[in-house]
Amino acid sequence: MSGLTLKGLRKAYGAAQVIKGVDLEILPEEFVVFVGPSGCGKSTLLRMIAGLESISGGDLFIGGRRVNDVDASQRGIAMVFQSYALYPHMTVRENMGFALKFAGASKTEITAKVDAAAAILGLGALMDRKPRDLSGGQRQRVAIGRAIVREPQVFLFDEPLSNLDAELRVHMRIEIARLHQDLKATIIYVTHDQIEAMTLADKIVVLREGRVEQTGSPLKLYDDPDNIFVAGFIGSPKMNFLSARVQGGRLVLPELADQSLPLPALQQALPEGAQVTLGLRPDVFKRGGSASLSLTIEIVEQLGGETFAYARVGGSAQIMTIAVEDGRALRPGQALVASFDPARALLFDTDGQRLR
Amino acid sequence: MKNPLALIGSLLAQAALWIAAFISVFPFYWMIVGATNTANDITSGKASFGTHLVENTTKFFTTIDAPRVFGNSFLVSILGTILTLAVTSLAGYGFEIFRSRTRDQIFAGLLLLLSIPFAALIVPLFMMFSRAGLMNTYAGIMLPGIAAIFMIFYFRQNTKSFPHELRDAALLDGLKEWQIFLYIYIPVMRSTYAAAMIIVFMTSWNAYLWPLMVVQTNEMKTITLQLASLASAYTPDYGLIMIANVLATLPTVLVFFLLQRRFVEGMLGSVK
Repeated sequence: MSGLTLKGLRKAYGAAQVIKGVDLEILPEEFVVFVGPSGCGKSTLLRMIAGLESISGGDLFIGGRRVNDVDASQRGIAMVFQSYALYPHMTVRENMGFALKFAGASKTEITAKVDAAAAILGLGALMDRKPRDLSGGQRQRVAIGRAIVREPQVFLFDEPLSNLDAELRVHMRIEIARLHQDLKATIIYVTHDQIEAMTLADKIVVLREGRVEQTGSPLKLYDDPDNIFVAGFIGSPKMNFLSARVQGGRLVLPELADQSLPLPALQQALPEGAQVTLGLRPDVFKRGGSASLSLTIEIVEQLGGETFAYARVGGSAQIMTIAVEDGRALRPGQALVASFDPARALLFDTDGQRLR
Repeated sequence: MKNPLALIGSLLAQAALWIAAFISVFPFYWMIVGATNTANDITSGKASFGTHLVENTTKFFTTIDAPRVFGNSFLVSILGTILTLAVTSLAGYGFEIFRSRTRDQIFAGLLLLLSIPFAALIVPLFMMFSRAGLMNTYAGIMLPGIAAIFMIFYFRQNTKSFPHELRDAALLDGLKEWQIFLYIYIPVMRSTYAAAMIIVFMTSWNAYLWPLMVVQTNEMKTITLQLASLASAYTPDYGLIMIANVLATLPTVLVFFLLQRRFVEGMLGSVK
């Protein structure tokens, strides 16, 4: 398995810059997930790696070889598409063996490789069916099988689970994770679903408007985001953001009736009167701590295992999401003192950059 | 009891439909009946089956060089259909799959050409073809129809339902563009091709005006030209004309019934 190196990769359609210089190192056998809102360029970047979109600038190396001008089929990659892209007029077996047949492999070799891939994915009984006779999950497995047969250096997945229903999505997610362990493959996976990103990735790449916002392990991005965008994008339910003012060594929260909190410990000193944004994940309230906010519950969501309370202060517009340990007795209208450890609060400057 | 007004309305609608059906079906009926009657029976208005089918058929095969005219018609229709489908489907694929800044302008220009009646093109086409030495040749009969703009439009519209990801997958599988067209596009779009085949085959089988211009000898005559010359004889033999019409209609009927199911699929959009 090979790694990839992206150096200043750019893509422009006429005057419109879609990918604005992406630098990225992907290690062999690493599972990398590109996430970002729609239109952030994650699929375009994947298609550039695949060779389906031309590269306007920068360099792309796969396994140390510069492949900017190498044909898609010669890059040692295989791709699984959102719509599966199975050839409708061919059987499962023909679909899976098609690339090998075109590469001039012998019949026995094709049969052996296709059967091996089919065994990994449990496709044995479906080999003579056409794609139209398969369910969505089966089609996606065939698409993955077609990729495995090619024994690529790198697997590319373009939102592969988006067309499946919720239950099947969870099932296929586990299957893809297992496949990664078994094949020891380098995988680049595009999704807008951050649960897929968090659960599958060794490394998440958060993209916005054609730029990399941050790369890192899922927990690194969750615990230590570089900016307000990453903080808000990673994690569900979303992080709470409150505007705050530094005053007398404390943080004053005008949106919560000027309640104040102790200032989290930072390496830099914040000047008196500085405007900042306070970020609090809903789950920091689960464990309690020395800081607290007094709120009134508006809506309670009982998920069985956990409880989320949506609460605010008086008539303020700012509504907070609070994860509550043992919250089964909570009712709308009740007062809630949400306490947390101030060390777990994140601060961002007015440009949205993290203050450390 | 039913509302009497609704009953009258429904009866009127029924009557109108019956009249319309009669108007469309009667000529076929008369053609078939006419093939079994003599010219005198037909001109006197006889509309029931007669006993002269064998006589008319024999006359057809003795007075007309049937293998020649049918051979000519089959040759220009089959070859013309294959060439037309090849050219127009490639064009439709290209227009839909490849992006370029001028693509839509060129396509709009092509559609604009559709509004020019063929009759207006006959004189320039005639001069072009005679200078190119293509008069009285099979190529001369077929060529003007091959880049049929309507069929390009038809293929482009249908290509919109061809999933681009199939092309991406094929590129990754190592296919060149022409291989994608041949091994993926054509099989996936076969219903579209079947519908197009019926339309194009019928059009070239029934073509009259242009072959009339190009064809100058009896050896090159197609069946439609032969029918016309039968009808323009000094004393037209209607029994002969009718049997000739029946025989000339058979191939198109056959093609339609063979491809009927695909024709409907193709017209509804081919990729599921």
